[in-house]
Amino acid sequence: MILRYDLPKEAENKISLSSGEKIYYAVPFDIDENGNWTKDSYIVVTTLKIHVFSAGDVRTFSISDLESAKAEPGVGGGVLTVKMNGQHRVLAHYSSGHLSRYAYVARGINILISGRFEEVISNEYEKICPHCGRVIPGTKTCPKCSGEGRFLGVFLKMAGPYKKHFFWIFFLMIMAAVTTLLNPEVQKHLINNVLKEGGDMKTAMIFLVLMFILSVSIVIVNVLKSNASARLGSKIASDLRGQLFEKYQKLPLSFINDRRPGELLNRITQDTRYISDFMADVFCNLFAVFFIFIWDVIFMLVINTKLALITFILVPVVSVIMISFRKTISRIFHLQYKKNDDVSSDLQDVISGMRVVKTYGKEKEESDRFKAVAVDFALIQKRNERFWAMFDFIVSFLMGMGVVIVVYFGGLDVFEGSMSAGELYQFITYTLLLFQYVGWLGRLPREISRLTSSLERIYDILAQDVEEEASDLKEFEIKGEITFDHATFGYKSYQPVLEDINAVIKPGEMIGIVGASGTGKSTLINLLMRLYETDDGRILVDGVDMKDISRRSYHSQLGVVLQETFLFSGTILDNIRFSKPDATIHEIIKAAKLANAHDFITMLPDGYNTYVGEKGYTLSGGERQRIAIARAILPDPNILILDEATASLDTENEFMIQKALERLTSGKTTFAIAHRLSTLKNADRIMVIDGHHIAEIGTHSELLSRKGIYYNLYNAQIQN
Amino acid sequence: MAENTLNIYEKKAEEMTRVTMITSDDLFRQTEGGFLSLDAGGRHYDRVRVVRLFPFSDANKYLSIREYENEGREIGIIEDLDAMPGESKKAIEHQLTLSYFTPVIIKIINIKDEYGYAYFHVMTDKGECRFAINMGSNAVSKLSDTRLIIMDVDENRFEIRDVDALSHKEKRMLDMFL
Repeated sequence: MILRYDLPKEAENKISLSSGEKIYYAVPFDIDENGNWTKDSYIVVTTLKIHVFSAGDVRTFSISDLESAKAEPGVGGGVLTVKMNGQHRVLAHYSSGHLSRYAYVARGINILISGRFEEVISNEYEKICPHCGRVIPGTKTCPKCSGEGRFLGVFLKMAGPYKKHFFWIFFLMIMAAVTTLLNPEVQKHLINNVLKEGGDMKTAMIFLVLMFILSVSIVIVNVLKSNASARLGSKIASDLRGQLFEKYQKLPLSFINDRRPGELLNRITQDTRYISDFMADVFCNLFAVFFIFIWDVIFMLVINTKLALITFILVPVVSVIMISFRKTISRIFHLQYKKNDDVSSDLQDVISGMRVVKTYGKEKEESDRFKAVAVDFALIQKRNERFWAMFDFIVSFLMGMGVVIVVYFGGLDVFEGSMSAGELYQFITYTLLLFQYVGWLGRLPREISRLTSSLERIYDILAQDVEEEASDLKEFEIKGEITFDHATFGYKSYQPVLEDINAVIKPGEMIGIVGASGTGKSTLINLLMRLYETDDGRILVDGVDMKDISRRSYHSQLGVVLQETFLFSGTILDNIRFSKPDATIHEIIKAAKLANAHDFITMLPDGYNTYVGEKGYTLSGGERQRIAIARAILPDPNILILDEATASLDTENEFMIQKALERLTSGKTTFAIAHRLSTLKNADRIMVIDGHHIAEIGTHSELLSRKGIYYNLYNAQIQN
Repeated sequence: MAENTLNIYEKKAEEMTRVTMITSDDLFRQTEGGFLSLDAGGRHYDRVRVVRLFPFSDANKYLSIREYENEGREIGIIEDLDAMPGESKKAIEHQLTLSYFTPVIIKIINIKDEYGYAYFHVMTDKGECRFAINMGSNAVSKLSDTRLIIMDVDENRFEIRDVDALSHKEKRMLDMFL
């Protein structure tokens, strides 16, 4: 995302930079103080000042006068505000398109206010091309602006590894074109030279056999060609799917989170399917159609130039009519589809809410409402079916009219003797071929552009640089000292979840994390688990920046028990072993015993070989949790993370698991999130998170004597 | 001691259930910083937020006035903006246009569709503008038979108050999305 736009000349002249002042961010805003669209207005943030340029005027604020900056999202837009002398002040209003841009800028300003000079850089992509104004389909650059030859580029990239297959299909396409075009030529000879007075049956038979062979070859070549294309298409799609999946595993979670949910899934499922569809439906005919089309036109011109030109005038007329018909059809069927959606979602609503409908006695109203929707749908459907029924007739009528005109003018030429009957027949066949392919060609640009964006989206992911683990990353035995140093993080750029977290946790300390839901407790843990990286600031492990520690080494020394335990489809043994694949059976049994899991596992008919997971044996919540704990203990980690590990369990289960956890946490740096404060009674210190910050941190008694948030929470829970 | 805390919670819960109305005696002002301030019930608020409770069906009735700090606690509800005295009304209206930026389309100059996106060139009450919508998603939602909200790819909102008031030509261009 662009955070430093080129300023217009006027703004550049008006804004005078003092020496040593450097522009960091320059972004436009598009709403003026009266709420109207505005152009050529910019916020320019330098190392020393903020210049607000609008309508030829510059207002300047000194960074040193500011206390904080904030990008506040609203409905349909947002506002950049600063706090100076204890007063809030609006700097600029902007529409939604700039929401995330300003979030970055606000973050940048806050960094400058805090006296540091790091520059914020955004890895998000622009949604609209700044050059041509087109929507960018989820790729880094605009496919249109990066060149028209783009299609060929990505297509060749895709085709590269499959050269042999492509040549085979290409050869089949030429064969298909040749056989298709040859048939009318043979038919012409049959009519002109054989089917006339004096013609004999024997020669006729030869021609018939020839025609038969040609027809059969057309079928064979086409079947071979379609087959080969479809096969190649699904091969390419499945290869790309595999590559994408592999890449997804390597990409950082933050990249996955930058994308809209479902979008990445679509790239694996829809975009690759589109490629195989394209290969099967479009590509298999692509060159054949071009080839046939060009020769068709040439043959027609050679046979009868005048007649050919008349036909060519007809072609655009017919195709325009056909295209407009198609548009109407797709529109009205889109409408029908939408109405159909309404009907089914309405139905779903009422049926799943049946209890509510019945208890309030609203059966009559609901059925009336549904009837209205259903009648609406039926009306549209009736109209559409009628239209659809006509469409085929209209198309064949139009083509028939074309042929009539050809026959009329051609017939005149035949009477005049400037054209033979066979040639007329041949000409008609070519005309029909022409009509057939014009429609197909009309659809082509759309198909190609769809394929191009699908391919671009796929290669966008595949070309993504994954930070390959640098070889100089450190590997060492972690003692468990954790330092948060100005750590700031948000899933979305414009909504920081944690801001400026500072704390030092001693090795072996158990930290209880407390706070209302949505305040960032789980986020803090996600950062500790290295699922995300901090946007600003650092997290240090034993004095080493977390980013400099080898991921493998770090994760192998980390134990995690989450609220919702995820067990893979597989046996209990597989699931426990997941954290340490080379663990001996002895170690596994020991871990299960420590986790209070061994006893219930032995009671299962299949013991450690019991199959669990989606289709397997159903374990209770407590049992699953204990397996998760065994999994966490197995590698003997030095850092432990417990995210509401006992929240969803009943009292007895909770007690068993508490016992297991106590054994687990002794001597290990532990972070435990809990709603029930009683579960944190062993914690050395409690960290209260509120309003994106650490609100309080200290021992149980320290926090109680402070009479703050923790004090209130504690008392409220004791009362209950 | 513990009882005291419980009282705080109870008081909070009690407070949340009370509906306070803001009357014409309460004074809204536009601040120098570009925000809205309020003097109500003997208290001064430097900055308040205005939230429409029925942004579509009754944009100028039932406005919730909330504190900027204090987790956005509700100070009160204005039943009808038109019943507020001129000065306050003007200040609130100004704040609303800014915090609910929803240009109303008064004229469709052109709509071009290209590969799954439709590009609108329109005249709105806030000036001329261009925007793009994704044709695959539900970018156009109907508030009534004639009233539309269009959401562009950036999640800006545009409103068409009355489809029937558009010219025949404009309606035809829009037809694709209804």
